[in-house]
Amino acid sequence: MSWLRVRAIARRNTLAVLRAPQRWFDVLVWPLVDAVLFGSIAVAFGETGAADDVALGFFLSAVLLFHVVFQSQVGLAVGFMEETWSRNLLNLLVTPLRETEYVAGVLVFALAKVAIGITVVAIVAALAFTTSVGALGFALIPMVAVLFVVGTSVGLLVIGMILRFGQGAEILTWGFLAIWLPLSGIFYPVDALPALLQPVSQVLPTTHVFAAARTVVDGGALPWSELGWASLGAVVLLVGSAAFVVKMLAVFRARGYVSRHT
Amino acid sequence: MCNPSGVVRARGLVKQYRRVRAVDGVDLSVAPGERVALLGPNGAGKTTILFMLLGVVTADAGKIEIAGFRLPKERGAAMERVGFAAGYLPLPERLKVREFLEVFGMLSGLRRPQEAVELGLDRFGIAHLAEAAGNELSSGQRTLVGVVKATLHHPELLVLDEPTASLDPDVALRVRRGLERLCAEESTALLVTSHNMVEVERLCERVVFVSHGRVVADDTPELVAARFGRADLEGVFLHLAELREEPS
Repeated sequence: MSWLRVRAIARRNTLAVLRAPQRWFDVLVWPLVDAVLFGSIAVAFGETGAADDVALGFFLSAVLLFHVVFQSQVGLAVGFMEETWSRNLLNLLVTPLRETEYVAGVLVFALAKVAIGITVVAIVAALAFTTSVGALGFALIPMVAVLFVVGTSVGLLVIGMILRFGQGAEILTWGFLAIWLPLSGIFYPVDALPALLQPVSQVLPTTHVFAAARTVVDGGALPWSELGWASLGAVVLLVGSAAFVVKMLAVFRARGYVSRHT
Repeated sequence: MCNPSGVVRARGLVKQYRRVRAVDGVDLSVAPGERVALLGPNGAGKTTILFMLLGVVTADAGKIEIAGFRLPKERGAAMERVGFAAGYLPLPERLKVREFLEVFGMLSGLRRPQEAVELGLDRFGIAHLAEAAGNELSSGQRTLVGVVKATLHHPELLVLDEPTASLDPDVALRVRRGLERLCAEESTALLVTSHNMVEVERLCERVVFVSHGRVVADDTPELVAARFGRADLEGVFLHLAELREEPS
């Protein structure tokens, strides 16, 4: 792997975002809105006596962790879409750039987006709700790592779909998460889901991370078994997504789909 | 006409898109420093051939070697020695010209691309565009920047797809002179597609005509024109285009 090429891709993505104020919506506005919305819901429930102070911690920690998945996935997928929007894909494909270098370069940039996103949530939690999401403590590190891998995997799935089906598949960037995240029990335990969906929820690595987070925020010890299952699921998902995108790239090259982007 | 020491050595290339056989058994070679034009009417298979040589499209059959590296297995090493520009590709609108060139210089392996960028912009007379954004450029200026991008890393092979399609004659002349100088100074081989036959006759020492996915002529411009009984390449082109229109 060439770090020079990884740096080049990270730089290209950073410059594209710096010059496009609308791209800051994902990074700044969305986490801000989510933190205010769900923090306020928790406060409202608290005032009616339907929830206690812990609920506020649940909600804000969940929003913070949700943005790890969201920012990493959207960062990767939109980084790729930027190349299709600007018809730059062919230019990239005729360089020595390897697929792994491209993904690594965009992920460096996505990691920065994750850091900004969760910082925004933490600031809103502290200033608007006088609550610290620091209740997660060091548990935050493995949780963020697992969710970053999940976000990356979903981003790769989206890229694979765009390679295969063209720009029409871009909607999946947001559509995948809209399906995935409710099934992950972000704000509620799995048994709150309809019975039919619970088995699906159990196989998602994100479900186990959010369950572990609720345990920690509630004052319990970090449930390593939950994180273990989540890590295993994330690795399986990553391997599957990588295999999928490699296959879709082979189809892209075999069928000459590059002409869709020239 | 395969040259054993060629920068490009392709044999028996085949590409089928659903019911259309876009490329049907093409052999192509380009020697170091040689300037070759790949010509033919629309749909003849030129761009598919170029894309196969660049590893962007996988050949169904045949062998491709670029600068001694086999495709698709050694695509990365091969592309370190290749530059590509196309007249129809825009520049990313959110990058300045200098940033765009530096990013692609890095992607091509230049650790400090700044110097190469300055030299490249000077070579094609567009140093004044360095701080312009991609969406501020005319199509001719974009093409020039694309050519600079393709030549930053001193490639052994420069592949240009319709490089002067949208250029005014004076800009096209500047591109041609820049390319001639590059090929002469650095022994860069040139493989170019164009619909401008006059320009091809001026720039290239060999032309390969493709029709219906097959090579139908491969020689100097003069000999190809003579072989088809035409005065120049324009006549050959029109002849082949007419044949294409006739029901087979």
